[in-house]
Amino acid sequence: MPPDAAPAPATHLIQGDRVTLPVEIRDAAVASAMFPVPAAAAQAVIAYSGLEVARPLPGRAICSLAFVRYADGDLGPYHEFAVAFLVRGAERVGAFIHWLPVNQTFTLEAGRTIWGFPKEMADIRMDLATRTKRCLVRVDGRTAIEMHVQPGIPMPPGRGVPSVDAYSSMNGVTRRTPWTVSPGGVRMRLGGGAYLKLGDHPVAHELRALGLDRARPLSAATVDRLRMTFQEAVEVRP
Amino acid sequence: MTTVRTALVTGAASGLGALAARRLAAAGWDVVAADLDAGGLAETARRSPNTHVRHCDVADAESVNALVREVGAVHRVVHAAAVGPMVPALEQPLQDVEHVLRTDFLGTVHVVRATLPGMLERGRGELILFSSLAALLPVAKTSAYAAAKAAVNAYAEAVAAEHAGSGVVIRCVCPRQVDTPGFRSASSADPAATGRMRGIPPGVVLDAVDRSLAARPAHDLYVLPDPLTRVVARARRWFPGPTARLVGRVTASR
Repeated sequence: MPPDAAPAPATHLIQGDRVTLPVEIRDAAVASAMFPVPAAAAQAVIAYSGLEVARPLPGRAICSLAFVRYADGDLGPYHEFAVAFLVRGAERVGAFIHWLPVNQTFTLEAGRTIWGFPKEMADIRMDLATRTKRCLVRVDGRTAIEMHVQPGIPMPPGRGVPSVDAYSSMNGVTRRTPWTVSPGGVRMRLGGGAYLKLGDHPVAHELRALGLDRARPLSAATVDRLRMTFQEAVEVRP
Repeated sequence: MTTVRTALVTGAASGLGALAARRLAAAGWDVVAADLDAGGLAETARRSPNTHVRHCDVADAESVNALVREVGAVHRVVHAAAVGPMVPALEQPLQDVEHVLRTDFLGTVHVVRATLPGMLERGRGELILFSSLAALLPVAKTSAYAAAKAAVNAYAEAVAAEHAGSGVVIRCVCPRQVDTPGFRSASSADPAATGRMRGIPPGVVLDAVDRSLAARPAHDLYVLPDPLTRVVARARRWFPGPTARLVGRVTASR
């Protein structure tokens, strides 16, 4: 396994501040759910990336929705909602980030500039202190998505730090971002555990067409303490 | 877009105050982060366009008044600024005792007097005052700190009684040891005096405050954030003697 070449640390100028890679997230909290969706329809949604959805079940792709509170990290404090599809990568399965609304300008500019993440400004309310975690995403005053994630069963601490690839596609350029995640305080449940209500936004309409309004997830999970790192993105030529 | 709300967080350079400021900033509040420690404040506000740092000494009424005059309407106050040196009562210089009382007790008085009138005028607001389990159950080496925090509790109860039904929600948060830089340095300097306990994560304390604001009635003043804090607080009320002796043994210096 050839390790990724170690280039000189890349930096990007964001709002007059130099951001050095890898970007580190020291404290985040997450609630997420994975939904099975028709593979052909999901493939059509992400066709612009040139990537191919993973099909872990016959004829089915996986759409993953998550909301995240970043309390301590290199991109400042903010809320985020992620709409992702699992895709086939060269070496491992990756997550293609289709939509990534955030509520702060620094992370908006950093995410778009450094990795080409499809960040968009939104009003994102979260309740993470209660057993059932709730999130409401509103864009231009209209509800786009509402998601609730119920508590699952505590998971034993994982071994090692899983590596994932995050994919993004902006202005016709598809990129892969090596990404590590180190979760603590994980609760998970299989078959249900999340409530999803779609509103009025182009992405919500796409998800509704995939049958996701009030759909039952394959699994749902919450993470109390998440550490992550994001490396420099590399361009992918399918 | 909804109107932006303003939060004032004292003690925002580290520990509970820093995390409270970051979580509020993440949630889109306009955050005024106040402290004496400029370096810590800068860290709290790093890459947060909606966090504004201000130098403020809560022990100085005029410093607090000037800050609140500048900030204008404050919708939520998170008053976390405090000092808690662990020293035997007879060894603590009088001026240290005065410093602890001035910072912890009068600091709370200054913050309440500066911010509560505006909240009452608007008929709403949230005033979160951080106290300590030590206010209910003082242990060795906490004499000045526990006295100051007990005064905070008494003051909060009286103020809450005077303004019940006003629309302003007051919370007095009494956690046991919290895993903050302040507690870590105290417990590494004197592990026995802190009962060799691990502090609860600051996030757990702030979650309890959030739940209390969301779900508890306005008059429910006290927040006891974790099960051990609740057990000790209740045991202290119902079995004061045995509880004090047990906790005294756990925190006895050797």
